Amino acid sequence: MIGSGIKRGTAELAVLSVLQDGPLHGYELARRIEQQTNGALRFTLAALYPMLYRMEQQRWIRGTWETSANGRRRRCYRLTPAGKKKLAPLQREWAELFRALQQLTKVAHA
Amino acid sequence: MPDWRGLVRQRLSGPGLDAAERDEVHAELAAHLEESYEGFCKEGLPEREAVHRTFEQVGGWEDLRRKISAAKRRELPVKKRVQQLWIPGFLTLVLSMTFLAMLQELGFRPRIVWSGTSPIFFYVLWLASLPFFGAMGAYFSARAGASRASALLASIFPVPALTAAFLLMFPIGMIIERVTGNHVDFSFVATVLLKDGISCLLVPGAALFVGGVLADILFGRRPWSQDAAIG
Repeated sequence: MIGSGIKRGTAELAVLSVLQDGPLHGYELARRIEQQTNGALRFTLAALYPMLYRMEQQRWIRGTWETSANGRRRRCYRLTPAGKKKLAPLQREWAELFRALQQLTKVAHA
Repeated sequence: MPDWRGLVRQRLSGPGLDAAERDEVHAELAAHLEESYEGFCKEGLPEREAVHRTFEQVGGWEDLRRKISAAKRRELPVKKRVQQLWIPGFLTLVLSMTFLAMLQELGFRPRIVWSGTSPIFFYVLWLASLPFFGAMGAYFSARAGASRASALLASIFPVPALTAAFLLMFPIGMIIERVTGNHVDFSFVATVLLKDGISCLLVPGAALFVGGVLADILFGRRPWSQDAAIG
């Protein structure tokens, strides 16, 4: 299980990455992230929604109310052009960080 | 199945969000909980267990309420502030002052309450109209999705605006008097300001506030912005 500090940093990346595949509402977004990370990233409502609202204010994502096939109204979030722009450097930064950590642990184990 | 919407509304009650945001957030969180609960039920969990697991997903109601308030407040868009406070506030100020000017133009005389060197006078008809203007300001503010505090502030908006004007007039007037060489007794000016403050700010402010409170009681609990929020 990943610690809460690291989770906070990766949460935005996770949301933006998952929304890259298409719009999702909050529940589905949380479920998709949990599935794709094998349960390593799991969001409570208190973690997910404040983050979504902040990202919406930063205009990285946009939420709109939509009616599903079964008549339910759900707020769907989609990636904005600004969000796409934000995602690329974020992915690079985290990839660099993980590479650096891997190097470090290899050295430590050697 | 629990009433998720009612539950969210009950648990997240309190200050922090304006009416439009509150309705929207409640609807969204309730939808999440509902789907989560149904997901657990589909997995074969008994109802009690499904409800328990769904609650676990909240991560603390107080924490949720606090974080959502902080996230939403972080950057109140200027447009929203204009719609919720400045436009209704200025409307209250302009209409109430226009009505006063109109009364004066029509020859209505103020009622003098305190006679002396600097009498206190009230335009009774104007004062009687102020609850209406205050209610109107609060109504438009609430309709734009403002919180109760913002709506009440919009209703009494002429008071801080006129207070600022009064406070500016005082030193400017003193400077002018000094430049022109007139000696004005400070205690006289202070008395005039106090009496004008009562007749032009305090009592009208109270009348506007009464209107704002009435509007809040009559219309404040209605979900004005429901269509805009969920539409």
